[in-house]
Amino acid sequence: MTHSVSEGAGDALLARRQQWMKVLAGAGSRLTEYSDDLRRTEHRFIRPAEVGMVMVRGRTGACGTPFNLGEMTVTRCVVQLVDGRHGHGYVAGRSTLHAELAALADAHLQGDRHGHWMTSLIEPLQREQEARRAAKEAASAATKVEFVTMVRGEDE
Amino acid sequence: MSQAALLKPAFTDTVHDAQQVFRRALSALSEPGLVQRVEGAPAMDRLSPATYALCLCLLDGDTPVWLSPALDTPELLANLVFHCGCPIVSAPEQAAFALLAGNEPIELSPFNPGTDRDPDLSCTVLLQLDDLDGGQTTTWQGPGINGTRAMRLPLPEAFWSQRAAHGFPKGLDFFITAADSFVGVPRSTRVIHVMQEVF
Repeated sequence: MTHSVSEGAGDALLARRQQWMKVLAGAGSRLTEYSDDLRRTEHRFIRPAEVGMVMVRGRTGACGTPFNLGEMTVTRCVVQLVDGRHGHGYVAGRSTLHAELAALADAHLQGDRHGHWMTSLIEPLQREQEARRAAKEAASAATKVEFVTMVRGEDE
Repeated sequence: MSQAALLKPAFTDTVHDAQQVFRRALSALSEPGLVQRVEGAPAMDRLSPATYALCLCLLDGDTPVWLSPALDTPELLANLVFHCGCPIVSAPEQAAFALLAGNEPIELSPFNPGTDRDPDLSCTVLLQLDDLDGGQTTTWQGPGINGTRAMRLPLPEAFWSQRAAHGFPKGLDFFITAADSFVGVPRSTRVIHVMQEVF
């Protein structure tokens, strides 16, 4: 029983971390505004930002076998803060600056000042990303075409 | 958290440092016995800079690694898995690379010498010593050596006879390291013991 409880807590932590990693990965150049704050704590790079390729795999339908969709460029970085905490940054594209800042933010978010970083960094960025997404969806929804089948009266 | 706190930076310039070490590893195997040096490589726990640099350069997700008990520390394990992504195996027979230390008994028989059809499947051994000099004189012959070369690696005669147990093309290739230097001993090199003259 205790096992399942601790597992549940781990899952919740994982889900929260996935959420902020997603926001950081989508933040792009918006993170540079926080650069000074993020770099204020003493840190060193365990894995300096490096650019590489990952294979993106896709699946058609629920029972389709996976296929290789194509390769994409990914930049990754791992940082260690002075207290030993690690942060990982994985972002699409070739921006080493973005990967470094995402890694630093991830490290800070796992620490004592989690709340501070959530309210000052993640939540504003997340609201922005959601607003942008909603605007895009609204713009494309306006061009939606409704297909209507006319009654052809064959049954009569 | 404790596992993560063991991690340390590796090469400063991953691509170029690894390329330079790889070039030296090629030179070492093409001219057996010629001492190669690695510059600016970090040491890792019980691994010397030369051993660790070869690990960072040669190991990856396709190379199962076996660690001798003297080198099997949590810190080394965490860093090898993080920086190289190599699987660690407990059976020496499955290893593509083996990390050995010279200050413990060396048993070479379990390592895979390849087959006559696929000699390339053999294990490559990284053997770390305190010094590359100061042992009994041995004479080396074979491809990459003009005539003969006299080497004084501090290794017992039993080591050389174990190494010679497999018929070519089967066999083990060695990188023998000390501090920031290493030499290559491919399976094609014949090592002959010179009897010490007794006065």
